[in-house]
Amino acid sequence: MKRWLKISLLLMPGLGLILIFIGSVVYIAIAQSFGYFNLSGESGFSLEYWAKMFDRLSYSRAIGYSLYIGVASAFLAVIFAYPLAIWLRRPFAGSLFISAVLKAPLLVHGLVVAFLYINIISYNGIVNQLLQALGIWDGPHRLQNDSGAVGVLILQTWKNMPFALLLLSGAVQAIGDDLLDAAADLGAGPFDRFRRVIAPLAVSATQAALVIVFVGALADFSFQVIAGPINKQSLSQLMVFFKGYGRWHDAAVIAVTLMGLGIAGSGVLALFSRFVLRGGRLS
Amino acid sequence: MNTVSVQNVSMRFGDFTAVDDVSFTVADGEFVTLLGPSGCGKTTLLNVVSGFLQPSAGKIEIGGVDVTFVPPEKRDTAMCFQSYALFPHLSVAENLQFGLKQKRLPAAERKQRLNDVAEKLDLVAQLEKLPNQLSGGQQQRVALGRALTMRPSVVLFDEPLSNLDAKLRESVRLEIRKIQADYNLAAIYVTHDQGEALAMSDRILIMRNGKIEQSGTPTEIYNFPQTSFVADFIGDANILDATIIGQESEDFWRVSTEIGELLVKSDTPPIAKRLKICWRPENAQFGAGEMNSIEAPITHRAFQGNYTDLFIEMNGVAQRVQWRRSHLEDITSLSMNIRPEDIIFLEAMT
Repeated sequence: MKRWLKISLLLMPGLGLILIFIGSVVYIAIAQSFGYFNLSGESGFSLEYWAKMFDRLSYSRAIGYSLYIGVASAFLAVIFAYPLAIWLRRPFAGSLFISAVLKAPLLVHGLVVAFLYINIISYNGIVNQLLQALGIWDGPHRLQNDSGAVGVLILQTWKNMPFALLLLSGAVQAIGDDLLDAAADLGAGPFDRFRRVIAPLAVSATQAALVIVFVGALADFSFQVIAGPINKQSLSQLMVFFKGYGRWHDAAVIAVTLMGLGIAGSGVLALFSRFVLRGGRLS
Repeated sequence: MNTVSVQNVSMRFGDFTAVDDVSFTVADGEFVTLLGPSGCGKTTLLNVVSGFLQPSAGKIEIGGVDVTFVPPEKRDTAMCFQSYALFPHLSVAENLQFGLKQKRLPAAERKQRLNDVAEKLDLVAQLEKLPNQLSGGQQQRVALGRALTMRPSVVLFDEPLSNLDAKLRESVRLEIRKIQADYNLAAIYVTHDQGEALAMSDRILIMRNGKIEQSGTPTEIYNFPQTSFVADFIGDANILDATIIGQESEDFWRVSTEIGELLVKSDTPPIAKRLKICWRPENAQFGAGEMNSIEAPITHRAFQGNYTDLFIEMNGVAQRVQWRRSHLEDITSLSMNIRPEDIIFLEAMT
């Protein structure tokens, strides 16, 4: 058998699936956003759907809001995961248990977490009751669906931090003790050891964590619907809204926007994190 | 003046005592080697001096200041690691300047120190390279240079040559010694290689089970080992159980051993009636002599290049002899003698 044919056949199960399933979905979404694959009328090339969408205030607001959720969630997850990864770098009594508990959110579905969360912070939930009992608040406060999307960010961070921790732990554990000892011996305190040794050496894992959390949070739907602000829509919400009214071309425009933002945002985040963690250098 | 003073230091990990009540000093410009087998506590002791470990008991002074509980980043020491521990994401120049930036030295001084060390260690052409683009010897020199740029009071070496091949090891150890002398640094060097210790040190501390078994200059340690462990660890030694029969004259003692009666010349009297004695294989005199003559069959031989190891057996006891001649195929038995001054009294038998 020819070498190229053998290689192609071996790659087929993995690469083939990606090309067929993801490629076809991406192709249809892009084509539909330009007027093709019309389910209820004539198909043909058109920029009308994009033009109308750019004129909508809800579209630009949804872009801004989704980017905010995506970027903030990514950074919060990584910021919380880093100290834990460093703390758990060397095994100690109970470290395995702590590590397992920290990763528990990976096993709980986001919808369940969101429902639990709104129960806790509801008008008569335990947070309100506790703060009143402690005399901090006189009466109950409305915490649900806050306009700053703090609830969504808490849920995103809670759900994604263990994933970031998983990635960062591997990278941090791979850094030898002797490197950190050498840095300490040369006068670097704990923060400088992080800044000058750990962060630059774990930059790839940080990039991966930021990008994966960002893409997931950018397209968040469930947390937004249950715990998100009622006066703001995420791109996913907007897409589902259009799809609900059978406006597939508008929904496709949002889908392509999400994909574009996902790719561009990932690139920017990856470059930004490399630049910052490598002390102002990209190479 | 003593740069480093280690006073009654012990280091325990749970029930295990890695370093047990050790004391020693290192003077300005002195090169002291901690020598011993794996697990004897030498690296632990070095880590206590560098600050990576806090001792369970005892005190460490550097330059007269108590630094026992001072973290490594605040100690005036610099360490050369066994693995070199070069920062893989930084160029050679950045590695060399790591500590200088940490100290916030002005750029001009950093550059001057960098150039000075790079020139001395022949690293000028490598400054822009990453560590993984260097050979083992070059990496070792960068590790040494990184420590030297700090101009510490004391430089610590943790088996820095163990990853180099034999030829390179020899040249680098000369380089290390020369640079240490040029900068007049106090140095503590950890190794399990006795050749390295003998060639480089002003003083050797031989460690065993967390304690210092013997300390002295290389010649003292080699020529006058105090215990069978030291005699065997430094160089080759034939160790025998002996019983003192009597004193022949002021410095001469007659002993009975498994290979027969021997006459021993010693300035110091034996510490017990039953004790260990040793003699070095290279001190055997070939041919029968007036004293301590031995004749025995050769059981096997090993050609070593510039000498041949001959193994003889007497009364079931194997003894090793080194002969400078290489053509020994026709010899089946050996006639030799040991000079009384070449036999050393060791510790009492338990």
